[in-house]
Amino acid sequence: MHALFQKIAALPWDQLPQWLFLIPGLLMLLAAFAAVCLRNLIHSALCVVLSFICLGVLFMALGAEFVGFVQLLVYVGAVAMLILFAILLTPASEVQASNNPLSNFRLSSALHAAAGAAVSFLVLAGLLAAIAFSPRAANAELPAQPAAAPVALIGENLLTYTLLPLLGIAVLLTAALVGAALIAKEDSKS
Amino acid sequence: MNFPGSGIIKGMAVTALNIVGSYFDRAHAKRLITEQYPEERPKLAEASRSFPFLVFDGDDPEKGIRCVACKICEKECPPQCIYIVKDTDANGKPIMRPKVFDIDISVCMGCQICVESCPFESIRMDNIYEVSGYDRFAPLVLHKPQLLKSNAYYHGIRPTEAAATDARIEAARLRKEAAAKAAAAKVAAAKAAAAAKAAGEKAAETKPTQPE
Amino acid sequence: MNFFALLKDFLLQFLGLFKNLETLPVECMRLLREFLTKLGELCGITMPQWALDTVSALVLIVAILVTFLVLFALMSVFERKLLARAQNRYGPNRVGPFGLFQPVADGIKMLTKEDLVPRAADKVVHYLAPIVMVAPALMLPVFLPFGRGMVAVDLSVGILAFFALGAGTELAVFMAGWASNNKYSILGAMRAIAQMISYELPLVTSALVVALVAGTLSPTGIAEAQSGYFCGFLPKWFVCTPWGFAACVLFYIGALSESNRCPFDLPEGESEIIAGHLTEYSGFKYAIFFMAEYVGMFAVNGLLVTLFLGGYNAPFPFLEWVPTWCWFFIKLWAVALSMVWVRTTLPRFRIDQMMQFAWKFLLPMSFVTLLAAAAWYYAGQGPKAWMSPAAWSASALIVLLSYLLLGTFCFTRRHSATNRRYLFSE
Repeated sequence: MHALFQKIAALPWDQLPQWLFLIPGLLMLLAAFAAVCLRNLIHSALCVVLSFICLGVLFMALGAEFVGFVQLLVYVGAVAMLILFAILLTPASEVQASNNPLSNFRLSSALHAAAGAAVSFLVLAGLLAAIAFSPRAANAELPAQPAAAPVALIGENLLTYTLLPLLGIAVLLTAALVGAALIAKEDSKS
Repeated sequence: MNFPGSGIIKGMAVTALNIVGSYFDRAHAKRLITEQYPEERPKLAEASRSFPFLVFDGDDPEKGIRCVACKICEKECPPQCIYIVKDTDANGKPIMRPKVFDIDISVCMGCQICVESCPFESIRMDNIYEVSGYDRFAPLVLHKPQLLKSNAYYHGIRPTEAAATDARIEAARLRKEAAAKAAAAKVAAAKAAAAAKAAGEKAAETKPTQPE
Repeated sequence: MNFFALLKDFLLQFLGLFKNLETLPVECMRLLREFLTKLGELCGITMPQWALDTVSALVLIVAILVTFLVLFALMSVFERKLLARAQNRYGPNRVGPFGLFQPVADGIKMLTKEDLVPRAADKVVHYLAPIVMVAPALMLPVFLPFGRGMVAVDLSVGILAFFALGAGTELAVFMAGWASNNKYSILGAMRAIAQMISYELPLVTSALVVALVAGTLSPTGIAEAQSGYFCGFLPKWFVCTPWGFAACVLFYIGALSESNRCPFDLPEGESEIIAGHLTEYSGFKYAIFFMAEYVGMFAVNGLLVTLFLGGYNAPFPFLEWVPTWCWFFIKLWAVALSMVWVRTTLPRFRIDQMMQFAWKFLLPMSFVTLLAAAAWYYAGQGPKAWMSPAAWSASALIVLLSYLLLGTFCFTRRHSATNRRYLFSE
């Protein structure tokens, strides 16, 4: 009994947290795969939400709590609801009946698969290139702990270096909001 | 004073006063109107009714039963929840008393037609309301022993109606007695007349023998 | 030294902890770790750090869960009793003393009910919705400081985390509404989501106001920023400032709406859409939805207490002998019961009124409080603002003027022709 206890206690438990990221990581991949494969649109959307959540958890596991929670707040709280509502408000029959121009191309399933593989390969290559050529990769020495007050740092950066882009995005979003309101209003009058 | 939102504050004050007042206000004794049922019971109105029962006179239900098994109520009952079998005596001859008197109160609708139609003031409406059983059938069929309740009980639940009934029965009894007396008197008178006549005839017969 | 001697030793130490109630919960955790270490020594192994961390985390989780579930149970009784009193009734008073065991009876009833799943429902999503609802709700209390040094997860972005997890509720409501395959369910879910998204804006903005002045997003830091007194005895709570009061009221309204409480209970307006997204749920799944709603309500109230009502700080210097965690729960109950009070008073909004109220009044007003807080901060030179007349007058002026303007524009008051007479309340 004691020997068993000691054996279990002697296992390299300290390295466990480094491997725990596999759980959300694999779950994220699985959910993403399911989102593509499932027939039911709502189920796919929910799987997308699951992969968003897992991504947020991965951020948190890397010590980037702020980014992780923003990921949850924005993607789970807002983007996911947008996707779900878009699916909900689009009648299924309408989608099937519409003349999808793509359906006229009688591509074989093999060609479909090839096109998909090509696109994913391009995206993957782009991502890998971005990682390989990023300045961080050059010294490859990540700081063990993030800065003491990452939130304050992010806030300061937002209001100094990136103020102009921030304002630009704000104007863009406001314009989009007003435009959406206008379209909705006209629709209700007619 | 009116400013935006003042109405909400006023409304909140009203409910707050009510909540606090319900604990401390003794001026309105009947403020909390909820009846605490198993401990407090509602005072039923005299005319409130639920299901029929059978009235008996005196102390012995079997002896004092007013029902004569005429089966009028059984025939009148709209949902047909009454079942009566006439009793027989030792010789097998039917007598004016029920052997079986069942009322299925799961069927009874409390219309009181049986009461209206009973010529013997025997069936009356009860005001029990705690009738329940673990079964839909047997516990809700009331048999004669359960149905029989004394005239005193009847007086207890609805004194006005019971007094009127008793007065009617008494009047009927008096009428009957008077009629019987009258009949008896008539019979007696007839008898007397007959006797007198017989005496007269006898006298007439004997008269000639009597010296003038 | 055998096991029982060790146990006795630590039990005595545990009883000794009751001499200082203020540090009792923290010391209990320390004692538990010590006990586990000693127990390991007794068994001949050195207890590894991760095992201690795991066990103390589990104990903490259980303690917080039990606390909030007990709060939920008590709330369900007190709410019914207060509602009844406002309507001149007794309320539940049958089960146990003063009806206090009513939640037990309710729980038994809920557990023994049949768990119905509609034939046309999306079974998997229908099953998952209560889980998705209750998981974030039970996670929310973790970020709150219950007393000085008593916070389970001390994040520097605690408030953001709170709102991020709260966003999971919308997803659950959508799942419940859609999976039930029922028109009332989906209508209720749409209403609920529209309401949650609309009221999250003033809620988050008024929390932002506090973060702006306190200079931190950590709930512990915000609670600590409200410790101390000005003028010698007045509490330095943010609700005592003009901008803080306005933000507190806005946050309170937002919290009412986020927890679907009257007058914002449109998602389950029973006279209109049966029970909204809960229509097709029964038995234990319904109970779980109910629980998530109440625990979420207590969590949001706890955030309100932390942000505006001074968190765990005592209101006056002479009351500081009461342990800080007691103050937190006293304030939490005060806010929760005030929500019942609001519920007895106000009728349900119509959906267009609710939307107008959110977008035309609450949202502009919350931006105004942001402005007023900024004015307070700059006119009073940061933390010194409590004693600065300029800061007080500037922020008070901004808040009051904009409130009166917005109020008169938004609400056209209609006066009833007759004076109402109330039987008992005048």
